[in-house]
Amino acid sequence: MSIIQSSTLEPLAALPAQTGGAPLPEWTALGPILALVATGLLLLGWDTVFPNRRTNTELSVIAAVGALVTLALSGWYLAAGTGRPATGGAITLFAEAITIDGLALFFTAIVAVVTALVAVASRDYLDDHETPGEFYSLVVLAAAGMALLASASSLATIFVALEMVSLPSYALVAYLKEDRGSVEAGMKYFLVGAVSSAIFVFGISLVYAATGSLVLSDVAAAFGDLDDLAGVAGVGVVMMIGGFAFKTASVPVHFWAPEVYEGAPAPVSAFLSSASKAAGFAVAFRVFTEAFPIADAVAVGIDWPLVFAVLAVLTMTLGNFAAAVQTEVKRMLAYSSIGHAGYALIGLAALSAGGSHNGAVMGASMAHLFVYGFMNTGAFLFIAMVESWGVGRTFEDYAGLGSVAPMASVAMTVFMFSLAGLPPFGGFFSKYFLFAGAVFNGFWWLAAIGALNSVLSLYYYSRVVKALWIEEPTDALSAVDSRPTALYGAVIVAAVATVVVLPGFGPVIETAEAAATALFG
Amino acid sequence: MVDAFAYVPAIVVLPFVSFLVALAFGKYLPKGGAFGGIAATAGSFLLSLWVLATVAGGGQHTETLYTWVSTDGIAAGIGPQEIELTFGVLIDPLSALMLVIVTLIATLVHVFSLGYMNDEGERDLPRYYAGLGLFTASMLGFVVADNLLMAFMFFELVGLCSYLLIGFHFREPGPPSAAKKAFLVTRFGDYFFLIGVVAVFATFGTASFVGSESFPVLAEHALNGEFDAWTPFGLDVGTWFTAVGLLVLGGAIGKSAQFPLHTWLPDAMEGPTPVSALIHAATMVAAGVYLVARMYGFYVLTPTTMAIIAFVGGFTALFAATMGLVKEELKQVLAYSTISQYGYMMLALGAGGYVAAVFHLMTHAFFKALLFLGAGAVIIAMHHEENMWEMGGLKEKLPVTYWTFVAGSLALAGIFPFAGFWSKDEILYEALVHGLNEPLLLGAWAMGLLAVPVTAFYTFRMVFLTFHGEPRTDTARDPHPIRWNVKGPLTVLGVLAVVSGAVNMVPVQKVLGLEGIDFLHLWLDGHYGGFSELTSHHYADLGPYSSGYIAGGEIPTVLIGAGVSLALALGGLGLAWKLYNVPEPAEHTAALGGIKTVLYNNYYQDELQVRIAQVTAGVASVADTFDQGVIDGVVNGVSSVSLVSGDRIRRVQTGVVTHYAALLTLGVTGLILVLGVLGGWFL
Repeated sequence: MSIIQSSTLEPLAALPAQTGGAPLPEWTALGPILALVATGLLLLGWDTVFPNRRTNTELSVIAAVGALVTLALSGWYLAAGTGRPATGGAITLFAEAITIDGLALFFTAIVAVVTALVAVASRDYLDDHETPGEFYSLVVLAAAGMALLASASSLATIFVALEMVSLPSYALVAYLKEDRGSVEAGMKYFLVGAVSSAIFVFGISLVYAATGSLVLSDVAAAFGDLDDLAGVAGVGVVMMIGGFAFKTASVPVHFWAPEVYEGAPAPVSAFLSSASKAAGFAVAFRVFTEAFPIADAVAVGIDWPLVFAVLAVLTMTLGNFAAAVQTEVKRMLAYSSIGHAGYALIGLAALSAGGSHNGAVMGASMAHLFVYGFMNTGAFLFIAMVESWGVGRTFEDYAGLGSVAPMASVAMTVFMFSLAGLPPFGGFFSKYFLFAGAVFNGFWWLAAIGALNSVLSLYYYSRVVKALWIEEPTDALSAVDSRPTALYGAVIVAAVATVVVLPGFGPVIETAEAAATALFG
Repeated sequence: MVDAFAYVPAIVVLPFVSFLVALAFGKYLPKGGAFGGIAATAGSFLLSLWVLATVAGGGQHTETLYTWVSTDGIAAGIGPQEIELTFGVLIDPLSALMLVIVTLIATLVHVFSLGYMNDEGERDLPRYYAGLGLFTASMLGFVVADNLLMAFMFFELVGLCSYLLIGFHFREPGPPSAAKKAFLVTRFGDYFFLIGVVAVFATFGTASFVGSESFPVLAEHALNGEFDAWTPFGLDVGTWFTAVGLLVLGGAIGKSAQFPLHTWLPDAMEGPTPVSALIHAATMVAAGVYLVARMYGFYVLTPTTMAIIAFVGGFTALFAATMGLVKEELKQVLAYSTISQYGYMMLALGAGGYVAAVFHLMTHAFFKALLFLGAGAVIIAMHHEENMWEMGGLKEKLPVTYWTFVAGSLALAGIFPFAGFWSKDEILYEALVHGLNEPLLLGAWAMGLLAVPVTAFYTFRMVFLTFHGEPRTDTARDPHPIRWNVKGPLTVLGVLAVVSGAVNMVPVQKVLGLEGIDFLHLWLDGHYGGFSELTSHHYADLGPYSSGYIAGGEIPTVLIGAGVSLALALGGLGLAWKLYNVPEPAEHTAALGGIKTVLYNNYYQDELQVRIAQVTAGVASVADTFDQGVIDGVVNGVSSVSLVSGDRIRRVQTGVVTHYAALLTLGVTGLILVLGVLGGWFL
């Protein structure tokens, strides 16, 4: 079992827990997850001790600080090389039920970033709400589930973690109890989620039946020797894909997404479409590279990269085409979120046995999800701001917002152009690396379809920008009277990050590619 | 020992700093930032002299300063393999010489501008000096560039600066239009250049000028079959290299104002006169010829390109000279003479006369800067009147200007022993001896030779009309006095126009058998310092030409060639003397009949280009239609398709959750079935 080795201890030495340069105990690798769990419990405790506070500022601060601590921990571990090949490889705990490696830490960081942004922004969104304590604790506990999902390396842990994410999410979507849309969305989310979970767990059972193990590495070992059970395993694998498709809002289990994102409170939409999706991808990346080695799987006729290729094309095309015809901005963003899931699926589709750029393309997909965490969260938070003003939901209602809320509109413009993949924003680079990686791995047609879809996406993203800046303001804008400070702050931070990630893209893509390459090692 | 080469970047950076200073603080500085510019260019000049001296002492230098795209990008799995995009410097005899020329002219132009701009009370001086600084810096960056891409970037900066400076008086109608024309016409050439740069990268994987891995050397190996160069469509390497050479040549033809892209240059006279001097003598126009000289090792490998360069050059030399015959404005005459003289340089390059071309580039820089600054002095004196028919008799009033202007004119006309004689004679000699076996080259030579008397005629027509005879207007009777800052640069250049031919007296060497007085030959051949693959004898070894002689040998050929061109020049001069060196000169252009109108209208070149532009506008509108209809159509079509199919998707998205559950299950089942059948799970 590997440990954090002394060669990486310079940064650790600053910590009080660190005496004499000895390695930290292994369980500390769980630090980011534990921090989220502790924050969730603290929030519940705070809400119990002060049940009737009129303000939710303290809760918001606790949640944000907890998320930032998680971010700091995972960032520190990433920088120190914890669980990376240079320090002895992945750290596995609890009989390989949990693995802490580059992939886990990278996605934990994404989740933490989104959680922090959402926690800050919700302070204003839930300003006069009666029971904000539940909201924050559910968000943070769901985030803990996501972090666990990114680290889980046994099918059992994975299923538990998946439900840890799903159950709070259902409640969060339905959080506005008085709002019909919110409640309906929550119900739908729950029903579709239940079906998907059923399919997923059935898939797991079939894989177990074929391989005799739930631990990913043992599944992989058994995969080279399936004999007659290839069909059973194959059905299981495809059913598991269905389960992942639910979490990532990909075809064919994407139906819930537009309605849930539209009906849910906007910060929850931001949370689900950014963090939850990223966590879904994290576990998919891990399961398919570690448990179902491409060469072995293809040899027995389970060509899962092909499945993902088909799903990627369908998902991005469907998402973008549908987004183009929406009249409401939030629903457009919901479909665009499906489209982006399609792009990220390229990271699983453009793989081949022994492909020279497998690590590069999957890493680029991870980096895209990282950038997406900022730009998509920011865009949904902008919507949250507009909702809090009560301006309206359609493109027409957004007309002239640039004149009354210029800062936020600049930020939204950055998000839109970055989502469309225009330089000089972060979204350009991540898409560029993703498509380039696909091309170098021989999947030029996948990259071409992705590029075509990006072109199309520019159409509907620029509609938002046009409405903000070019179209004449309507009378409804007089409703824009408040300046929700925290919401503003979160949006601006996300916008700045979307821009700053461009010069800082080197470390991001390097970390992501290193983490992905380690999975193929 | 401090190494001069360490300071090469400073040569480029100093004028750039003066640009920044003039731009930011020019308003607060005395003379609008002129002194900063003078100090910077003078500093660059001194550094260049040091570099020159170091090269003369056996030095050469190449260094990559900054790699902005490297194979490191490939570690991430991106980009084609093994391409590095770098900034670097290359100091060899050619670039060292050019550095001295450019910085010298730039310094003198800065000083002269004190008289031409400051003393005349022009406004926006900081913008002017900022432009001059950037212009100089861009040209110097171009000169020291060690690879084609860097050269291209600075080449474009030079074009941008010329746009800014030609359009300096943007409040008047003419200059902005001229600036636009200059920019667009040279851009047209640069477009081919850019494709050429990409082609060079694609073919060789490098665009370096020097070293065993440079593209001229690789091209040489490729032709010998020792290097596997990439070619498109399975083209033969020779053919492809010719195409690449011609593409890059497009940029040179645009910048050096060669036919048919010369039309911007006469219009560029709308810029302030010192800027014209800078453009014509040392920077913009020189850039094209310098580019060809810089990658001469590549051009000599492709005989077709060489022949085209020679023929275009010879044709431009004659063609532009004839247009200069009838011009009425001082600067217009000089503009056409510039086109014509750069034609000579192209002729020399195409004819295998590498040294001759560089020689003429140098002498021309001196005497053309001199003539422009002299014309500027005349314009100051004449209160910004440029029509020569309004002048006359300025000889007594402006003695310094007159004598230096005459020196420059004698050089331009190619009269023994002024600088231009030596260089032009060598060009014609090279074209002749190489052309005896090459009919096309011989034709180019004939045109070059014919241009000699024409040049002499229009040059001295200009001199006589401006300075001789009786003053024809009140202004000419009482000209504005000029100051030291105008006379100083004129004197320096006047001396150079007289003596600079001495650096390369090849005819004297050949006839008298004196060895070692062809300093420029030795210089460019790397006798003092330099890279072996960038020497003139290396080029000669690679070149396609062999020498032939008339009248039984080398010495008679030299003598006959020099004699004939001198006689023709004197003939042209004499005719001008007879027609225009009279107290009350007449136009005499009626004798030309219909040709006169044609010449006045520059062979209807501009009209033709306008026509072409209209056709192009047609093409452009077709392209626009294509873009709007097809490209955007695809995009919009994608959108309209998407709008339709988006509706379908919306119809599927019913909002009824049981439908979703059903579709979801069907979807997963479908996937299982398809993959199962493909993978053979059910067998």
